[in-house]
Amino acid sequence: MFLLSAPITARREVARGMWVLSMTAPEIATSVRAGQFVNLGWSPGPLLRRPFSVYRVDGDRIEVVLKAVGVGTAQLLAMRPGDRISCLGPLGRGFDLPAGPGRAVLISGGLGVAPMPLAAREAMALGMRVTWVHGARSADELCSETEGDEVIWATDDGSRGSVGTAVVAAPDAELVLACGPNRMLAAVAQRWPQALVAVEAYMGCGTGVCLGCAVPLKRGGYDRACKEGPVYRAADIDWPMLPAHLPYAVNA
Amino acid sequence: MSADLSVTIGSLKLRGPVLAASGTFGYGTEVPLLERRGLAAMVSKGIFLRPRAGTPPPRIVETPSGMLNAIGLQGPGADALIRDYAPQWAGWDFPVVVNINGESAAEYAELTARLDGVPGVAGFEINISCPNVEQGGLYFGNDPRAAASVTDAVRKRTKLPVWVKLTPMVTDIGVIARAVESAGADALCAVNTFVGMSIDLNAHMPRLSFRTGGLSGPAIRPLAVHLAHQAARAVSIPVLGVGGIMRAEDALEFLVAGCAAVQVGTATFVNPRAIVEVHEGIASYMESHNLGSLAELPRYLPRD
Repeated sequence: MFLLSAPITARREVARGMWVLSMTAPEIATSVRAGQFVNLGWSPGPLLRRPFSVYRVDGDRIEVVLKAVGVGTAQLLAMRPGDRISCLGPLGRGFDLPAGPGRAVLISGGLGVAPMPLAAREAMALGMRVTWVHGARSADELCSETEGDEVIWATDDGSRGSVGTAVVAAPDAELVLACGPNRMLAAVAQRWPQALVAVEAYMGCGTGVCLGCAVPLKRGGYDRACKEGPVYRAADIDWPMLPAHLPYAVNA
Repeated sequence: MSADLSVTIGSLKLRGPVLAASGTFGYGTEVPLLERRGLAAMVSKGIFLRPRAGTPPPRIVETPSGMLNAIGLQGPGADALIRDYAPQWAGWDFPVVVNINGESAAEYAELTARLDGVPGVAGFEINISCPNVEQGGLYFGNDPRAAASVTDAVRKRTKLPVWVKLTPMVTDIGVIARAVESAGADALCAVNTFVGMSIDLNAHMPRLSFRTGGLSGPAIRPLAVHLAHQAARAVSIPVLGVGGIMRAEDALEFLVAGCAAVQVGTATFVNPRAIVEVHEGIASYMESHNLGSLAELPRYLPRD
């Protein structure tokens, strides 16, 4: 784990209102695994850091993907190249992929694209054939960047790809990875109990000490999205107990 | 010549005035990137005699300059603490004080007896101020007689240092402070979190599943400085100041206001190096003000 002052190098819009932010963070870039995250802090900014899955790695740079959902993310999107972000990571346990060959289906909804480019590359490096199924409300909210051998689109309004959710559009496979709203992941869990899913949770420290990011488990009790997670076997989570909607600190 | 930052809290000699506050440092095995030389002591995550699952999520929410938490004292219980953590603490170069909890004075006493004498356990911080448990916790901290009875029950089971962590949710903190001092406390920690609530305007419900939570962070700092100061004026035992310390200047406010040492909590969530940075900042302040030791730091502590 590293704590770096990372200069922003660039940003680009990959869907309506969805941005990729690049920053120079060499130690994290060389050590991060798919599904791991960084906890970002900036000043002036909110008190607590905000967790973001690492989206891509390019040389000594890492990328995260975000939308302006509150004051904090709006501040982050107002920053310019050269501005520095305090970057703590890599954190959490990422996707633990079995060795190929076989087919891996990656399912993402909205901002759930975040861990998928790295996951696709790791799966392909293991010899798997990768199908990425990406869903959003409408065509303009679909992430324009893709990875993998095959891409399937799904939109709620049918403006691109199949009508309905990415979960419905996804084919079966030996290995299913998913990231998106917790409601979507609960649907994944019903269809593929063995799927590996990256959950979102309110998070305090990101390092395992505050116990704020409790994930309710089927076997009872809780563990920490930031430490044992954020990737879980879908069947291990007590889905009805996991908050479905996270209006992250809208008043902070 | 660098300043002497060591402090003495009762019988416990510490290499500095900056401690890790309970619940913000786990059991000391998790916090990364911290050079331990800046850490005077650690207060463990609060423990009950038996394992506790804690509260359902959401457990935390950020608020202006602060955060609400309702973790519910999730923890593995005394047996696991003795088996998994205390042996590690025994080898560390700073003392570990265990934050103890119970639903009755007898349960606090039983937990103390279980932990007393375990290598690695250097003292006890009695938590009579947790706002996030249904039984015990805050109840004991609101009532001087209940606070004294818990303190007395723990005091009778150990010769190790006994600290009492006070709640801010009282009319006169001095009354509680004097009651636990009389019952044998070696030091006071002032203060625990303030009870607060945040409402989700879409769900028309509290944001936390426990409905209320404990408010921490810079939002509470002036309140905490005042309460720690009031506690320090009320007793002759040392007071450890705690509440919203992010930087050395914040810690120095508590020290000048009459505290012997400070605990840093929420800041560690934001910055894993916060404790060592506060320690180093105090050292710089001492040097720039030509103070050779913390005993020379001027205090504002008028006695009535």
